[in-house]
Amino acid sequence: MRRHAWVAAVAVMMTLAAGSAAAHHSFSAEYDDKKPLKVTGTVTTMKWSNPHAWIYVDVKDKRGKVVNWAFETGGANALYRRGWRKQDLVPGTVVTIDAFQARNGTPTANAQSILMPDGKRLFAGSSSPTGGTGAK
Amino acid sequence: MSEHRRARRVAAGVLVALVLTLVTGCAPSGAPGANPTIPRTASGRPNLQGIWQARNAAAADLLDHAARHEMRAGRSVVEGDEIPYQPWAAARKLENAASRATADPLAKCYMPGVPRIMYMPYPFHLFQTDDHVGITFEWSQVFRLIYTNGSKPHDGIEFWMGDSRGRWEGDTLVVDVTNHNDKTWFDMAGNFHSEALHLVERFTMTDANTIQYELTVEDPKVFTRPWKMTMPLHRETDSDRVLEYQCNAEAEEARGDFERDPRTWYPGPAGTAAQPAAVAGEDVPSAPAPARTAAQPKGPIRRLADGKPDLSGHYQPDGGGANYGLETHPPDFLTPGGRGVIVDPADGQLPMLPWAETEQKNRMLPERGYDDPTAHCFVAGVPRSMYTPSPLHILQPPGYVVVLHERMAWRVIPLDGRPHLPDTIRLWQGDSVGRWEGDTLVIETRNLNGKTWLNEVGEIVSHAETVVERLTPLDADTLHYEATVTDPLVYSRPWTIALPMNRQADDLLEVACHEDNQDLQHLKDVRDEVRRRTRR
Repeated sequence: MRRHAWVAAVAVMMTLAAGSAAAHHSFSAEYDDKKPLKVTGTVTTMKWSNPHAWIYVDVKDKRGKVVNWAFETGGANALYRRGWRKQDLVPGTVVTIDAFQARNGTPTANAQSILMPDGKRLFAGSSSPTGGTGAK
Repeated sequence: MSEHRRARRVAAGVLVALVLTLVTGCAPSGAPGANPTIPRTASGRPNLQGIWQARNAAAADLLDHAARHEMRAGRSVVEGDEIPYQPWAAARKLENAASRATADPLAKCYMPGVPRIMYMPYPFHLFQTDDHVGITFEWSQVFRLIYTNGSKPHDGIEFWMGDSRGRWEGDTLVVDVTNHNDKTWFDMAGNFHSEALHLVERFTMTDANTIQYELTVEDPKVFTRPWKMTMPLHRETDSDRVLEYQCNAEAEEARGDFERDPRTWYPGPAGTAAQPAAVAGEDVPSAPAPARTAAQPKGPIRRLADGKPDLSGHYQPDGGGANYGLETHPPDFLTPGGRGVIVDPADGQLPMLPWAETEQKNRMLPERGYDDPTAHCFVAGVPRSMYTPSPLHILQPPGYVVVLHERMAWRVIPLDGRPHLPDTIRLWQGDSVGRWEGDTLVIETRNLNGKTWLNEVGEIVSHAETVVERLTPLDADTLHYEATVTDPLVYSRPWTIALPMNRQADDLLEVACHEDNQDLQHLKDVRDEVRRRTRR
């Protein structure tokens, strides 16, 4: 598990993860490296905000019950500088998300990668707008 | 450039101005018939620079009104004393007024937006250059950066404080403010607008100490027609600084949601009961430390007309992971690695006192993530605000260097050699005074409150912290930034960090942090769970 987290963390830095542009708080305090999560679900809404934007996704749990998960991404400024606009993520889109779950046990997670049905990665794929080796 | 060549360049500038005056028959003191009683900039514009404040009750209610709880009475600032609401909006305004104790965005310390920030009962400092006007507000370190360089507003993004683009019409500064969100109000009485709001502000100096502020309000979703407000702004003449009112930090401290750390926070004036023994009697060294690294220019640098280096512009600090540890560190779970920015001591390690090493390790526990002031969206302090991974904009109007941080904080650095504030006035961003040493801007900062952390891993500073920063241009687009921190309560000796800042062609956007901060509750849950468990 620890190794899984480590590999994921490295992958994040290399592919420029959606979830961690210009943090204002400790991610390791909020999210649990022992709780990686991979889900597929339907986007219900996107909160276009700073310091983080949030994507809400309906995900079916093992018993078939639908839970609305909140996935943290980079802030609106970072997304805007990468060319994304408010209307670009349409509710109803099916996405597959790799994430780390929040320590507080709520359906909240820090998104590491968000894949569209066509295999395109959401919000990623350009160099960091915040520059520097330490931008996250 | 030698002093001699610099003097020659200045003389040449004066000559050009003289020739222009002769050729155009128009002195740089404005058009014929222009108001001769107002100060002007070197380029002949009215000089609006200074500390200003409205002295009316518009922040309570724009219209004629009697006093209500915590709202002073006042006369209308609206033309005709009428706001032309559409019927649905008139009803909504009444609902807002009835529920203002909780519904007013300001009651939650959300950014007031424009125009409300302009007539709140807090002063603001206006700075003016040929291509920008910057306004730094006492209220919560909010600022406005008004572009007067002919640039266009952004498209497809909303800001709490709007997007301001200005131009001069004769002696009047005219500012279009667009890209508002629909979450701010005009006043405590619940007057409101939608995201379709378009403001046209007109700043006209009527004498040296008065700006006539005129505002046209358009919002076809809420009003039946455009409407106008007018008020004077008065120059603040009995203070040379705008201080800080950190709305959310004060509110959280008062509620107990942000708790005092007796080891680092300013204990109050010496001799009061608040002074804990452990931090009593510290001696803050007053002599500035010498530069630790030699910043050598690599190419020609930009200069102002007076020959001083021109630092102005949009910069991205290359913090090298300093926001996650000043020392060299590998990447960890969701935390980037860092190249290490400490240049003194030579081993690159912070010379922490034993208690500080223990405390810093403790701050890395998940349950302490809540205690990082920036997790609460409080301002980052000095030097942290200079290396958070977020852009900044430097303005260099006469007599000042002003730093505007995209994460909504500012630093105003006067260059006139004024004394620091009295020791008892402690600020999140401290009190900074600057001076030029050759081509290096040297900034001394003290009066810090000891509430800030140096980064997310909890590296420590206390109220005994003093900082000497040095900004040296290395070429036209690179600044060398160096900061020496002296804090005898935490460190056995002063230490110095160094990093570059890169000029970029970009605008500052706006990081509204507290307004949409969902992370803090998650961090609080983690802390509270541990507190519950350890109490059992």
